[in-house]
Amino acid sequence: MSIAVEYSTAELMGAVMARQLRPGEVAIMGAVSALPQAACRLAQLTTAPGLWFIAGGSGAVNPHLDPLVASSCDERLLEADAVMTLPGVILAEGRGDLIDVFFAGGLQIDAYGNCNLGPVGPWTRPTLRGPGGVGLPFVSRAGRVVIYSMSHDRRTFVEQVDFISGPGFVNGRDALPGGGPSLIVTPLCTMDFDRATHRARLATLHPGVTLDQVLAATGFTPIVPARLETTAPPTAEELLILRRMDPGGLLRGGAER
Amino acid sequence: MLLSAAAAIEDLVPEGAGLVAVGGMHMHNNPMALVRELIRRRRHVRRLLTSPSASLAADLLIGARLVDEVATAYVGFEHLGLAPAYRRAAESATITVLELCEAAIVHGLYAGAGGLPFVALPPGLELSDVSRANPDHFRVITDPFTGERALVAAPLRPDVALIHALAADENGNVYFSGAHFTDRLMAMAAKKVIVQVERMAEPGERTAYPAESVLPGFLVTAVVVAPGGCKPTASHGAYGYEEASLRAYLKLGRTEEGFAEYLQLNGMAAAQVVA
Repeated sequence: MSIAVEYSTAELMGAVMARQLRPGEVAIMGAVSALPQAACRLAQLTTAPGLWFIAGGSGAVNPHLDPLVASSCDERLLEADAVMTLPGVILAEGRGDLIDVFFAGGLQIDAYGNCNLGPVGPWTRPTLRGPGGVGLPFVSRAGRVVIYSMSHDRRTFVEQVDFISGPGFVNGRDALPGGGPSLIVTPLCTMDFDRATHRARLATLHPGVTLDQVLAATGFTPIVPARLETTAPPTAEELLILRRMDPGGLLRGGAER
Repeated sequence: MLLSAAAAIEDLVPEGAGLVAVGGMHMHNNPMALVRELIRRRRHVRRLLTSPSASLAADLLIGARLVDEVATAYVGFEHLGLAPAYRRAAESATITVLELCEAAIVHGLYAGAGGLPFVALPPGLELSDVSRANPDHFRVITDPFTGERALVAAPLRPDVALIHALAADENGNVYFSGAHFTDRLMAMAAKKVIVQVERMAEPGERTAYPAESVLPGFLVTAVVVAPGGCKPTASHGAYGYEEASLRAYLKLGRTEEGFAEYLQLNGMAAAQVVA
């Protein structure tokens, strides 16, 4: 007998992101990164034993996330297997052969996986001044880039970003020293990238989401394959692990504890 | 030199200072005691340099209209929201934003600290628009070794750095606890360094700190003892950030009037100078 398990959108996204990671890889993430941190910890405990992850500005390597915290520079992250200085982390991001997976995001994300966390609109007088990209230019050097966004709407997903903070396949050109964007994970779906054109292509729809719903919420026209799979929901084991590290329910709209 | 916050700002940060760097990262280790004093005294900063991710300290200085240009890679409050004063100033073009990325900041500070004339950045970074948005700070040159195009950035040499650490001794040796982000590098690059600390160090305490957690006194111009001086941001080794207080700021900061009210409520109005 199977029991339907309730889960949040963030928990589903976390499980999807965790399944992207492989044993022994090195992953990194920046600000507002409780979700990719949870995904990495989940992967370590399930499909990717021996995964390493660097929790952004804290410099923590394999933080124990007991519990998961909201800020990427929280001192509690230093309860970790190892710790780097922040200048050390920035050296590692630049080396080019150390970081396998870079988790990125943006106020705008475009059809070629470019991310904007800076100005929306004119650069010198933006209509929305985003905070800034911090280390996002380094995504150009990573093995692959997993892009995630908690909003899926036409303001976020645009044909072309107004400012490139994190370079994807700029205008469809493959000029990147690294492997480029590999997956976009949103509250509605996942998208990968067409090998020939580098344009975003729908990969899976989350349970209960329709193709029309995704197309209506997306400001660019993604490639739609003939056959669309449904995203595998989180398993009971995945949810158990996620909730054990997240007693306050950060991934369920709660506060940290 | 042990000074009060008032004396340190009065004596060491001239009106219209050229390049002032402020340490901390996100809502952690912001040197708020020093920043509040700058605001009370209405000290203008021609150019503010932030750490790779600035938060309350930068937003208050910008909102108080004390900054002409901000050289930064991020001003925001992570999961709590965008920076209200920074947004208002940038969106109305009342401040000039000099776009940087963390590599330009950290390698630039390294260049400033070590006397390097400029720094070459890793290939791929030129694909972001950061360098095109801030052309005065970046150049594309020919790599003399490979003949390839290389993006280079200017060194960063702050006139004054304001940073926070856990403790200091009477000779100005400073100890950091927890994550100390880019603060030590910032201090090493700056011409003058004011460090606010939670407390004076205990005798013999230095041996508990590894080399990377210590800033020797010859790099420190003044120490200011300010217990609780990072609040409402966190002080690693001492206390966490006060989320409710930061949220209250984000709410008030949405309007000019609310921002002025926040300054008044938190002792930062111009009339609230204490000698």
